[in-house]
Amino acid sequence: MTKYITRMGDGQRVEMTADELMRDFELGTQDAAKRGKIDPLTQDDLKYLLEIFTCTNKIVSVEPGNEVVLTHDIGSLRLNGDQANSGVGIPLSRIQGIGVHERAFAADTFELGHIDYSYKPVKPIISMEQTEMETAQLTTTIPLFYGAMPNLGTYYRPDGPFGNPSDLLPMGKIQEAREAQEEAVHHATRDMIYIGEKMNAVGGDGLNFDTTGAAGDADMKATLHAVEYLKQHTDLAIEVGMAGEFVLGIHGGLEYDGVRLAGLYPHQQVKLVEKAGADIFGPVVNTNTGKSIAWNLSRALTFIKACVQVSNIPVHVNVGMGVGGIPVFETPCIDSVTRASKAMAEIAKVDGL
Amino acid sequence: MGKAELFEQAAQAVVDANKDAAIDIAKQAIAEGIDPVEMINDGFSVGMSRCGELFDTGELFLPELIVASDAMVSAIAVLEQAMPVEQTSKKLGIAVVGTIEGDVHDIGKGIVATMLRVYGFEVHDLGRDVPINVFVEKAKEVNANIVGSSALMTTTQVGQKALEQALKDAGLRDKVKTMVGGAVCTQRWADKIGSDLYAENATDAVTKLKELFS
Amino acid sequence: MGVGDPFGMPIAHGMAAGMGGIRTAGDLVARMQMTRKMRINEAKAYVADKLKVSPTDLSNEHVMREVREELDIGIITAVPGCAKGIEAKARIANLLGVRINSVERLKSKIR
Repeated sequence: MTKYITRMGDGQRVEMTADELMRDFELGTQDAAKRGKIDPLTQDDLKYLLEIFTCTNKIVSVEPGNEVVLTHDIGSLRLNGDQANSGVGIPLSRIQGIGVHERAFAADTFELGHIDYSYKPVKPIISMEQTEMETAQLTTTIPLFYGAMPNLGTYYRPDGPFGNPSDLLPMGKIQEAREAQEEAVHHATRDMIYIGEKMNAVGGDGLNFDTTGAAGDADMKATLHAVEYLKQHTDLAIEVGMAGEFVLGIHGGLEYDGVRLAGLYPHQQVKLVEKAGADIFGPVVNTNTGKSIAWNLSRALTFIKACVQVSNIPVHVNVGMGVGGIPVFETPCIDSVTRASKAMAEIAKVDGL
Repeated sequence: MGKAELFEQAAQAVVDANKDAAIDIAKQAIAEGIDPVEMINDGFSVGMSRCGELFDTGELFLPELIVASDAMVSAIAVLEQAMPVEQTSKKLGIAVVGTIEGDVHDIGKGIVATMLRVYGFEVHDLGRDVPINVFVEKAKEVNANIVGSSALMTTTQVGQKALEQALKDAGLRDKVKTMVGGAVCTQRWADKIGSDLYAENATDAVTKLKELFS
Repeated sequence: MGVGDPFGMPIAHGMAAGMGGIRTAGDLVARMQMTRKMRINEAKAYVADKLKVSPTDLSNEHVMREVREELDIGIITAVPGCAKGIEAKARIANLLGVRINSVERLKSKIR
């Protein structure tokens, strides 16, 4: 029986028959359907996915006319940064990095970001970020976001003033942990609004909130409140990108617009992000390294398709390392990357990547 | 009330995080002469397993998990009064966990520490940015049989390999089971550095350690 | 997209499914998503209408290079005299009927 080259979730190359691929597609989509209480992929979707996986070419692409918009996280750090962001350590300035992405990588949009890629550390150096954005806006044609992570972890001890839920919860101090998170929400919202307003003042096109929810439901709440304010008071386009496939309930009781944030999946997250006024939503589905990419991508497509169907704003699925059906490997395997691209555009019908 | 029904009520009391109900059920079990160990394993622990599944699917959250475990621990405290001394207060294992040196990500590691405690392990959480020698010293001090490290960055992941060597150099490697976790870790990485276990997430960590130590 | 080396991530995705930036019309379609929350097909239809091309032509280099040069809205290669940066964005704002923050700021500075 013919075997096809594919990958595991950790990037390891394996060979699978068409039947084995189909079995993993079925298992993956059923897992997502059960967890999210959503519809699994249709048989037509699975058959098309099989065509993608059994194509023996190393790389695949969408059919002409099915191209989508690409938005980016981490700015030019992947050029001048270190390994932590898969950076390749080229000594380029950020302005040069933006130019490289616009003119050599055919980026549709791009982002200015700081090496300490969270909102709180930007506050003391905001003037520097503003002058960088001003200069970039003069020479850039494509839309340019300012991006960072809400990262409520920077508000907890030892990095911030509030008690750390990671320390308080194991001690059973639930009330104290909740109070610390509620305080952090207030401060993080204020800081993100401050930075957004500063970027708006110097002509930024948009603001990107990357890995929203990384520090749990409090992290998402702070972001939604910041988005709500900024959409009412500035001209910035706003993209909200998530950190995980469901919102981790570290507090467990926080709500936005009467909806509990903990446990929300992409098709539920997008409705609140819309309500806050954001323009683009970037859902995440995490890759399981112990399963095949066939399982992972089918599962990711199920969640994302459900999200796209209910969304009223553009959905730009996250397809970086370890998410969106991409292997967890720092130099992404191109065969898997292009298969995820094609599948997300043509099966999940995303508006962007 | 039949045993099966009481086991189910015990499990549900834990899922509902109903401490009072859990204590009452434990007392009722003693009064009816049900084996306390059976009551724990087939009743209250089943409830805790269900909580773990609900946590894994995002239907139950960390604070609720802790309150549920509090209900279970309270019930077990009642049952332990009816157990022979040698059966009581038996921890499944003694774990030393921490985020590896140079890395400050600790949310996932904190969840693992909490869940291991909930499931009956004695846990010593060293926190974040933990030097290798601190892992080793603590493991010696508490007579640990599990050493778990978390790394979220490829730059700090190498510390997990160094930890394996440090445990060997200290003569502890054969006395502990090592476990690695974190976003950049994979089974392949665990195999490469000689770690005994790889945990995809907190639930996976608990499942694998329970299998090993039960 | 986020973590991943340049060749394996932005370039790979761009080749597989990207609109093509200013090589074609990716930036223009992106602006409609960002300013009017348009879904992909709606955004393509809108831009295609403004540029007087078909939606499929929006990612056709052979068509878009000429269109962009004629409309002077920024092209990928470095041609002296062609609009670049803020100049190109000013013309894009007029063409698409959208507000571009940096363009408005420039106008306020030179009023």
